[in-house]
Amino acid sequence: MSSKSAFQTATGDSLPADISCRWPLFVLLSGAVFWLLAGSILTLIGTIKFHAPDFLAEPAWLTYGRVRPAGLNAMIYGFCLPSALGLTLWLLARLGRTTLAGAIPVVFGGLLWHLGVGAGVVGVLSGDATGFEHLEFPSYAVAMIAASYLVLGVAGVLTFRQRAERGLFVTQWFLLAAIFWFPWIYSTATILTSVYPVRGMAQAVVGWWFSANLILVWFGLVGLGIVFYLLPRLLDRELESHYLAMFVFWMLILFGTWTGIPKTAPVPAWIPMMSKVTTVLAGLALLGAALILHRTLGADYRLLSTDPSLMFAGFAVASFVIAGFMGIAEVLSGASSMLHLSWYATARSWLQLYGFFAMALFAGIYYVWPQLTGRPFPLPRLVRLHFWLAASGVMLAVIPLAVGGIVQDGNHANPEMAFVDVAKGTLTFLRISSIGDVLTLAGHFLLALNVLLAIGAFCWDRVRIALRTATIELQEQGVNS
Amino acid sequence: MSSGMRATGTRDTVVAEPKASRAPVPVWLFFLLFVLLFWAMYEFDRRGGWFHSQVYTPYRSLAELQRYQPATGGISLERGKVVYETVCALCHNTDGSGKPNQAPPLSGADWVVGSPDRLIRIPLAGLTGPIEVKGQTWNLAMPAMGAALSDDDLAAVLTYMRSAWGNQAEAITPDQVAAVRAALAGRMQPYTAAELQAIP
Repeated sequence: MSSKSAFQTATGDSLPADISCRWPLFVLLSGAVFWLLAGSILTLIGTIKFHAPDFLAEPAWLTYGRVRPAGLNAMIYGFCLPSALGLTLWLLARLGRTTLAGAIPVVFGGLLWHLGVGAGVVGVLSGDATGFEHLEFPSYAVAMIAASYLVLGVAGVLTFRQRAERGLFVTQWFLLAAIFWFPWIYSTATILTSVYPVRGMAQAVVGWWFSANLILVWFGLVGLGIVFYLLPRLLDRELESHYLAMFVFWMLILFGTWTGIPKTAPVPAWIPMMSKVTTVLAGLALLGAALILHRTLGADYRLLSTDPSLMFAGFAVASFVIAGFMGIAEVLSGASSMLHLSWYATARSWLQLYGFFAMALFAGIYYVWPQLTGRPFPLPRLVRLHFWLAASGVMLAVIPLAVGGIVQDGNHANPEMAFVDVAKGTLTFLRISSIGDVLTLAGHFLLALNVLLAIGAFCWDRVRIALRTATIELQEQGVNS
Repeated sequence: MSSGMRATGTRDTVVAEPKASRAPVPVWLFFLLFVLLFWAMYEFDRRGGWFHSQVYTPYRSLAELQRYQPATGGISLERGKVVYETVCALCHNTDGSGKPNQAPPLSGADWVVGSPDRLIRIPLAGLTGPIEVKGQTWNLAMPAMGAALSDDDLAAVLTYMRSAWGNQAEAITPDQVAAVRAALAGRMQPYTAAELQAIP
């Protein structure tokens, strides 16, 4: 960057890591915020159909079976992954005391990623979805995303490799493992479900395996990696502790990867049974994460309210633990229970995806963005408001669905009750949870507004500095002549 | 709020990145790990079916699964009916009434409900020449239709014949079929009625 020096004079001592990450993260994060809005609007359209089935029922593009997966995939691949990767690159550069390797390729990689998500969302809406949950994007979108991941992943590894600080912090293990974890699960799942599909039920097993590895293991690695950085950073103390984090890391990796196959899956008994026992064992990672939060705070949870990023991070860890224990309750419920086929499962996966991972990403974005621009967010009060909207939104969306799922499960076991009546019995819960969706969407608008204004302010700064430098040079030339 | 402004407010000027303390993992966490590992192995051993491809939830082992299998051993009438309709019914008719000039009746025939050792020989080796069935003499040739059937299937179909269409005779077991098959020891030519009469 030619104007680096001019910017440095304006903002003081910018760290090299921040400067090198600036444009790559602008692209990744602002695109992510766009898909966050698009995804939550699509999801909301799907939810409104529970109140008014006629709403947008006419165009096939906006029927429930298309908007729901389009919204969810926009959320996962449009928001979660690019922001996670952006924050990963920044953290690896910062913690390695180096600069981002291949900043310019990463900018183009980020653009390609968001184009791929666009193609995927349009593809799903037009009816091209693959039919595998969390893998709905059609092949052309997957190709773009995979190519882009190659650029971003290699940049991450190279950044790690060229680090000046050789000692590793906890966050680096989590993030580096995540960089290698995603291509493994994504390529395996895509190849075995779409390119060279395995036969029959094995496809469903691959699908379940991928969902669990993405939502529990990958989100866990990145989300906890971010939180374990922010806690000591914002509290100005050491993380408690290195070994406990190592325990969490190995429990998550060793046991988390086996989970996700429901107990009624029509496959040989050892597969669901393996999933059941490892789901319980992965609970040790939840306990470990909770202990890290508790000990780092010194049991003083009021400290979380000192910073909006800490509030997001604390909420994220709490959701991670609760969602995990909801999963354990699901696998340990009696043989006749079908909780995993009820709204309870939706509630659990949303708590993991949004309550934990999206909240951890918000924490990261609100912390990292000002480091990049050298300025606070233009409307800092909205950050706290966003937290309260998101937190209450998640709880309003998750609690009714979980309770509704338990009621639904009980009714399913009642032979006197017709299936349609059981389904109708969940409507009240679904409608309450829509209020939660509206609140989280309102929060997304606040984030988008702050990001938009921050980019505007940053660009205006640069123009002003360039003008001033030019004016000074002109004046000096005038004096000289 | 002053410290709260730090994250969303001014950027960090401190370059010191976070560190982690070296406090050990609490022992109870490892204790819990081993307890859960013990439970997991116990549970998997009890219900996992030990990687057997035929054991599905809610069954736990191959042994348990076999308890629920329908009994075999020549007395499965459903199996006998299937074999009869595939192999025999074309000539002897589905109701065992036989067909004129083609095959004698089986229902109510002494040859069917009588001596098992005679009956088993007919499908195994075939039958040729005149034979009296229910007061009528037939002079035809039957090939060894049952030679290719397993002991189980042949026992099932003969038992079916002996219990269907009003016939009432005791079942024929696969062991009986196996014994006769061994006794024939590669006999190629079909029986005649007179030869069969000589057998008890």
